[in-house]
Amino acid sequence: MSSPADGTAKKVPTYCYQCVAGPDLMTVKVVDGVATEVEPNFAAAEVTPSAGKVCVKAFGLLQKMYNPNRILTPMKRTNPRKGVDQDPGFVPISWDEALDTIAERLEAVQAKGPNDDSGYPRIAASFGGGGTPTYYMGTLPAFLASIGPIDFGFGSGQGVKCYHSEHLYGELWHRAFTVAPDTPNTEYMLSFGYNVEASGGVCGVKRHADARARGAKRVQIEPHLSVTGACSAEWVPIRPKTDAAFMFGLLHVMLHEQRQRLDIPFLKHRTTSPYLVAPNGFFLRDPATSKPLIYCLQRKRAVPFDTSDSDPALEGTFKVSGIEIGADDDAWEHRMEKVQPAFQKLIDHTAGYTPLWAGRICDVPHKVIRRLALEFIDHARVGETTEVEGRELPYRPVAIALGKTVNNGWGGFDCCWARTLMACLVGALEVPGGTLGTTVRLNRPATDRNLSVKPHPDGFMDYPMNPTDKAGWLAKPDVRNANRTLIPLVANSPWSQALGPTHLAWMQQQQAPEHWPQATPPDIWFVYRTNPAISFWDTTQITEVLSRFPFTVCFALTNDETNHFADILLPDRTDLEGLQLIRVGGTKFIEQFWDYQGFALRQPVVEAQGDARDFTWIATELARRSGVLDKYVKAVNRGAAGVPLKGEHYDFSLAEDEAPSVEAVWDATCRAASAEITDGAEDQGLDWYREHGFRVAPFPRVKWYLYAAIEDAGLRFELPYQERLMRVGKQLGRRLHEHGISWWDEQLEEYDPLPEYKNYPEMWEKALERNYRVDIRDYPFWAVTARSMQYAWGGNAGIQMMREVAENVGGHGGVVINATKAAELGLADGDLVEIRSPLNATRGRVVTRQGIRPDTLLMIGQFEHWATPYAKDLELPSLNKLVPMLIDLTDSTGSGADLTRVQVNRVEGAR
Amino acid sequence: MNVGGKPWLQTHWDWHVAVNFLTGGSGSGLLLVAALGALAGQPLAAPTWLGLLLIGGGLAQVMLHLGRPLRGLNALFNPRTSWMSREAFVAGPLLLVALLAALLEWTLLGLLAGLLAVAFLYCQARILKEARGIPAWREPRLLPLILATGLVEGAALYLLVALLGGWHEATLGASVLLLVALVTRILAWRGYRKALQGNAPNEALRALERAEAPFAGAGHVAPVLLLVVAAGVPSAQAPLTALAGLMALLAGWGVKFAIVTRAGYNQGFAIMHTPARGAGTGGLGSKPGW
Amino acid sequence: MTRYVMVADLERCVGCQTCTAACKHTNATAPGVQWRRVLDMEVGEFPDVRRAFVPVGCMHCADPPCMHVCPSTATGQRADGLVTIDYDLCIGCGYCAVACPYQARYMVEQPGQAYREGRMRSETQRENPGRLGVAQKCTFCSDRIDYGEQHGLTPGVDPEATPACVNACIASALQFGDIEDPDSNVSQLLAAHKHFRMHEELGTDPGFYYLWEDR
Repeated sequence: MSSPADGTAKKVPTYCYQCVAGPDLMTVKVVDGVATEVEPNFAAAEVTPSAGKVCVKAFGLLQKMYNPNRILTPMKRTNPRKGVDQDPGFVPISWDEALDTIAERLEAVQAKGPNDDSGYPRIAASFGGGGTPTYYMGTLPAFLASIGPIDFGFGSGQGVKCYHSEHLYGELWHRAFTVAPDTPNTEYMLSFGYNVEASGGVCGVKRHADARARGAKRVQIEPHLSVTGACSAEWVPIRPKTDAAFMFGLLHVMLHEQRQRLDIPFLKHRTTSPYLVAPNGFFLRDPATSKPLIYCLQRKRAVPFDTSDSDPALEGTFKVSGIEIGADDDAWEHRMEKVQPAFQKLIDHTAGYTPLWAGRICDVPHKVIRRLALEFIDHARVGETTEVEGRELPYRPVAIALGKTVNNGWGGFDCCWARTLMACLVGALEVPGGTLGTTVRLNRPATDRNLSVKPHPDGFMDYPMNPTDKAGWLAKPDVRNANRTLIPLVANSPWSQALGPTHLAWMQQQQAPEHWPQATPPDIWFVYRTNPAISFWDTTQITEVLSRFPFTVCFALTNDETNHFADILLPDRTDLEGLQLIRVGGTKFIEQFWDYQGFALRQPVVEAQGDARDFTWIATELARRSGVLDKYVKAVNRGAAGVPLKGEHYDFSLAEDEAPSVEAVWDATCRAASAEITDGAEDQGLDWYREHGFRVAPFPRVKWYLYAAIEDAGLRFELPYQERLMRVGKQLGRRLHEHGISWWDEQLEEYDPLPEYKNYPEMWEKALERNYRVDIRDYPFWAVTARSMQYAWGGNAGIQMMREVAENVGGHGGVVINATKAAELGLADGDLVEIRSPLNATRGRVVTRQGIRPDTLLMIGQFEHWATPYAKDLELPSLNKLVPMLIDLTDSTGSGADLTRVQVNRVEGAR
Repeated sequence: MNVGGKPWLQTHWDWHVAVNFLTGGSGSGLLLVAALGALAGQPLAAPTWLGLLLIGGGLAQVMLHLGRPLRGLNALFNPRTSWMSREAFVAGPLLLVALLAALLEWTLLGLLAGLLAVAFLYCQARILKEARGIPAWREPRLLPLILATGLVEGAALYLLVALLGGWHEATLGASVLLLVALVTRILAWRGYRKALQGNAPNEALRALERAEAPFAGAGHVAPVLLLVVAAGVPSAQAPLTALAGLMALLAGWGVKFAIVTRAGYNQGFAIMHTPARGAGTGGLGSKPGW
Repeated sequence: MTRYVMVADLERCVGCQTCTAACKHTNATAPGVQWRRVLDMEVGEFPDVRRAFVPVGCMHCADPPCMHVCPSTATGQRADGLVTIDYDLCIGCGYCAVACPYQARYMVEQPGQAYREGRMRSETQRENPGRLGVAQKCTFCSDRIDYGEQHGLTPGVDPEATPACVNACIASALQFGDIEDPDSNVSQLLAAHKHFRMHEELGTDPGFYYLWEDR
């Protein structure tokens, strides 16, 4: 459209993928060569679940592009000393000088060999935003692939601030790197801190609004009344980090009070509930085939789990013979031993987890816990089916969602297990209306999680665990966070490093633990779209480490807290200036499951500002100048830019001996994309995508539900009993102990076949007391954080308009404290306070609210910037400064949680 | 930016506008009293010049602080419904007639100026009352208060002029008038505050509460006592009377300044119900800050 | 007769401020000026607390106090109910701003600038000197409505004829249309939901409805 006054206006289609809840399609209005307005892409209304709309973050892109504080030429550092208190002395240089400087370093690294004396890659790279930088970095992945091993393990939040337990256990149990309710079909949702109205993107917000309009009920269980709590039918203010107890209480009601109402056929045939557990805790197996045994009620004897027409017992004790295979080569033979099905073990295991028990731990009335369990079962519609594209599937419109801090750090395993198990108990896992996974990142192929359903001999899905057997275990870590060595579950995909214990990479730079290689700083560190200097924990320690990195290259928008330590700054073209084609649709992160899939183009809506260069140009030039052009182009041809350029029916491969232009790369990619989506019938290029913006084809909805693939493969979900994890844990323990390593012992304890509740709040309290020699009673508040839709992942605290609109949402701009508690402490709105944890202190203004527990403080994601222009003047508090990096607070998946105890004191004289 | 919907102090009308209510009220009150004085044979020129100066000065500085001062005459475009237009319409003839009255000292012109001044004062009072976004202003009982304080201020100023001029009869008359006006004003103030209870944001009420003691005490009790004492102590009559007048005047200015700049909290926001969310039910509404 | 009104479904609104941002883009309002914005209101005391997100702005009242007090006739009312401001007539007295019980009006004296380091191209491009020193507020995107009507489009249905905040609303909480048309989207929403208007007791007959529960 153009309204009457805009004769020279045009609208340019592009996408926003600033957060993992994207991508969303949009248009940008350009008047006289100036971008003036972001708008929904109305042409995409029918094919996107977001109705062609973008969220508030996309509107910050204009000020991001035109920000007068932008770095618009390459810069180099002139002050060799690095530190928070050091002026980097950046001076402009030419692109030639910048790129040649980097290329020289790269060549020097190549000459020395890719790994240093500790065995770690000499080159490291950190990207933020849950993988979203990929959708802005053009062909950089091809360049990275062409320069040898890279350490991606220096986290900027990934690993500790993501849905970490969910990523790992979710992938294990139902190919669910991220988990979501089937919001379009569900009727009842228990949401433990899942802040979908802030983190679920347009798609999540719209679908949940539709669900509310349908009359669906969502209960938000969270210490503060988040925006999601606000939009829920009920808010249950739970004590921080006790969610596992709450869920165990729910399990108790389901298993001990409502067992007859569970989905028995699902449990018998689609879970490992009937597998018999032998005396040492491993499955009892058939001596001939090694298959796990079940007890068939019809045949009145144990049979292999896959025996047809069996009627497996779920409960009871049976005298049965068989073999048991433990860790490494351990094996036992049992003769007429008393054994029980895993389900019976589960029943016994949960006997003590009554709502009364849980209620006391969670500071929630036990009646509420029992009522919610009953509501969950009431809404589950056990026995009903529905048809999806001609396929009959169970219909179970109940779902459970977990948020950050619930599903990372200690207790995350319990919560993920309990959540997935509750879904299984009523048959609501991966079925219409139930709890779904939406994407895979550790299993392959990443493009379709249904295709990753591969059988394991034990009857459930196979999983690419990192080996823990003597021969296969990676004793010497290959990257600094040792993900493959310590975390079997993190697998070995391109994403695995970033999901290792990323804080180990930082911590070890200070001091290596016993019997462990002393970590070295990388010779070269590339940084894009991330800011670990303020976004990770113990930011003081992080900045000390950053000061020691010898050569840091930052792709930079403006100065910021991490760029402050850079040696070279490279101005890339921002979201609205660069060119790239990406895949859209199908099933992606969070609630992005579409009825379509295809491709969308990001294109320059106006000419780039200053001398900012397209990422693909930068990558190509770096490859050319560092002598890896052929490898780089090969990688592009292979699909490192998102689409393989050669397929069965087409070949748009680029010549490997010359540097392709940016347009050539993306024209070939567009053609390959068109061909891929039409099986070679069409090959529209860049010009077509520039005009139309996107191209999609239908995506079958049945693929939303992994149940179909599981059923087709005759497989089971690997719940409730974690025999495989127990074995892996025992083996890992042996390997570590063989190397004299005992500092991972607490983590090894978590490899429980059935998780036992531990006093998680106390774990934090004790760890803080132990490590900092404090009396925890001096730190009476729990400090937590929450997603800011306006700020998250956009670097938006430095964008004036985003700051302005964020201030309309309560809690931005300070530290939220219960109004009554504040009054008790003599604190009023606007008072300047110091929030001190045993580690460090931060300052902020008091924001009183009723919607928060009196024992909890909330600092919404805003990070005490000290270098980023504009943001540094806002005086915002940051939880990151207060949260320590401690092995004690690292769980077996290598994650921690955004949580600490704090005290709060008025800064005298300030009002 | 306001988050929760509580009323906040309006910022559109700052002290420039407040001053116009101060000087406009005083000036028009003075013109009225001067007219009454002239009827009783007292000098007209001096109080009229002063009234003229006050009204004209107030209008001039508020004009200069318009967003678009050059379009000031557009203020005349809406006499049909706008009391600001009406004020502007009255202001022209008022200033002209008062000028002539001051120059020519014709009682008739003085009377006419006095009448126009009453109209002007009424317009000012109505301007506040029609500001429906500001609960402390839109209260109808503000009208008598603005009129009464205009009279007090006029009487007080006239008293000061008369004292300076050594006009004994005028001093006496003005003292009596001031006493009567003070009683009227405190009654109007009481009525205004009473009517406002529960009808204005808490902060606005608190601002008026803070104004209560100085206004009632220094603005009424003290002047009345001073006038009474002055009547009994001839030797100190002039300074005591002057002080009484000054206090009554300043109290009027003070309370109007407070009403415009301190009690000028806006309406804020309110909801009748909180919404049902999905299977939940709607809940109670809220009118934060009230 | 036509009367355009806005309907905000409080059950759907999540307070994300996408409408706020979209309005700022479309109308190029200065920093700090929000013709449309969403309040974040808390009701009750811990633990019985509710939190509601409430879009506000000019209510386009049928009996608008701002218009009555306006001395210059700059504030007017269209036949379709939209309350308008003629920037060329307005003298910038601010009277309308204190007459509005919805705090919907703004005045800006100087060209806006988001960053002290310099004005952005998007700011200079959209600079509107005529809007300095005068009252401004939400127009219900009247230019879009006019464009739509000229091109046979339905405001509230066709995006080109619909206010930017409504188009942008990711929760479909904001809806716009003709309340006099019983078949319009807004009439149907109002029929199907319990609703209220803000400060209705002040008698301004606001053209902004809040849905709070199904009927």
